[in-house]
Amino acid sequence: MAVAVPRSRFRRRRRPGAAREALVGYGFVLVPMGVFVLFFIYPMVYAIYISRYDWGILGPLGNVGWKNYSTLWHDTLFRRAVKNTLEYTIWVVPAQMALGLLLAVVVNQRIRFRTFFRGAFYFPSLASSAAITAIALYLLNINGLFNHIFGLHVAWFFDTRTALPAITGLNAWTTSGTMMLFYLAALQAIPTEVYEAAAIDGAGPWRTFWKVTFPLLKPGHFFVAVVSIIGAMKVFDQNYIVSRGTGGPDYATYSVVLYIFNTAIHDAKLGLAAAAGVVLFVVIFLFTIAQWVFFGRQEAA
Amino acid sequence: MTSVPEPPAPPFAAVEELASGGPVAVGAAVPSGIPGRAKTELIQRILAYAALTVISLLFFVPFLWSLSTSFKPLPETANFSLLPNTWTIAGYRSALTDYNFGRYLANSAILAGSVTLTSVFMSALGGYAFARLRFPGRNILFFLVLGTLMIPDQLRLVPIYRMLTIFPVTHWNLVDTYQGYWAIRMVSATALFLMRQYFLTIPRDLEEAAKLDGAGYFKTFWRVMLPLAGPALAAIAILEFQGTWNDFFWGNLLLQSAQHWTIQVGLAQFSFQYQTLWNSLMAGTMIALAPVVLVYLFFQRYFVAGVASAGVKG
Repeated sequence: MAVAVPRSRFRRRRRPGAAREALVGYGFVLVPMGVFVLFFIYPMVYAIYISRYDWGILGPLGNVGWKNYSTLWHDTLFRRAVKNTLEYTIWVVPAQMALGLLLAVVVNQRIRFRTFFRGAFYFPSLASSAAITAIALYLLNINGLFNHIFGLHVAWFFDTRTALPAITGLNAWTTSGTMMLFYLAALQAIPTEVYEAAAIDGAGPWRTFWKVTFPLLKPGHFFVAVVSIIGAMKVFDQNYIVSRGTGGPDYATYSVVLYIFNTAIHDAKLGLAAAAGVVLFVVIFLFTIAQWVFFGRQEAA
Repeated sequence: MTSVPEPPAPPFAAVEELASGGPVAVGAAVPSGIPGRAKTELIQRILAYAALTVISLLFFVPFLWSLSTSFKPLPETANFSLLPNTWTIAGYRSALTDYNFGRYLANSAILAGSVTLTSVFMSALGGYAFARLRFPGRNILFFLVLGTLMIPDQLRLVPIYRMLTIFPVTHWNLVDTYQGYWAIRMVSATALFLMRQYFLTIPRDLEEAAKLDGAGYFKTFWRVMLPLAGPALAAIAILEFQGTWNDFFWGNLLLQSAQHWTIQVGLAQFSFQYQTLWNSLMAGTMIALAPVVLVYLFFQRYFVAGVASAGVKG
């Protein structure tokens, strides 16, 4: 049965002043959008463009197609940087997660000065990387406090075997406060009844933690892991500062971002550096997508 | 297109509660008549305090030790006394005068100040437009803003460096200038996103009233909405200030001559050259930390709100 609908219902009716409102709206977002397009979206496209050129400091020398990417693949220095970054990631992610969870569980207890401790544990996350690294250089120098306390004689940042592990420990410590906050939010999403049920079943605190709390924190684990992995792959400041930009000793702290920086700034091989940046971006992007998919599904469920 | 996918963030309400230090009692027991509960709780408490002691040492000792060193005369930095035998500000004096930390401090203040100012204003203006004003393509533009959050700085390094060396069209060289540094950071997507979310929570009535009084769009924004957004503006100002003050990545890349170094770049460069002048190095470190410490002490609750969206540094 056909229903007669007046045509005007379908025609878009203009609100009075709509044109003016739209104009004002564009005006208000003009500068921010300009900045985002000029310094974020355009550079992303530009990075891909540069990565297809043999590009010196004075400009493009010639379109080389995807050659920069195959050069990267065969570049021993890039391979070393990837290896170091992966090695760092494999160690730092579990360390950050474990420390963050430990801190969260401790400050989630009914302890005195809880707010103070939360604030204090979060503080290293807010301190600048340069300041934290300077403190680490001091505490971990060969005559430093750390060696003194533990009776060691190791030049942590100047020994090929210990430089990267030292940075790993340093960054696990620095970032644990942020991970603590994420875990606290996740802990508080667990309903109290679950603990009551566990207590009625006679489960002790240890058992309750491993059998109840830990599995229920799964979304939290996933979130923290992805944030931590993405952060780990961007590692740069600490490596740069402890090695004076060289990635030393003997390339032991050479990370992917340090490779991008040195290839672009010191070697003036902008095409090759841009290609490394694109590769890093793709890997980070995949993890971001994984996170979106996971949390999208969580919300739908 | 009516809704825009938003980046995942942990629940804001919970994070806000953490920030205010409000009651959080999950996992900690509610008194009840369950047998064995008292003992269980006691064990749990003892474990918690033991862990707390160890962790506190781990977190406080590095900072306190460095603070103490910054007040020691240089020869004393070689021994391990907890407090200086002779208290001196020689480390601070030499850092500020002999090693130019005064200049770096001023540079950092100029850059962090100008970035914070423009970022707060621009993100409020843009956030208001995205929250309230209707214009064709609004959702697409907002999607673009959120999209920029996924572009890592490490990808932008090469193109931004190239762009600032020879700026498109105008051919300015903005490397090693305040303007270049400020331009790439003058507004952030995170700040704009947070402002939009905040403006969405403000009821429309007040604006309607202003409109009836004949106030224009900008006046409504400036006189009505901005004063209502105080907490969000404070949180964003703090987030942007802390982020810019602490930045090493862009400062190190772009600000190449010593006269333009920020405190973080200056501190790193000092550690390259004078690594064993521990008292001066630690004094410089304390100077680099001080503003963030002060802001954190006074405005702690505003910090945490930003964490959810700001992510983690490297």
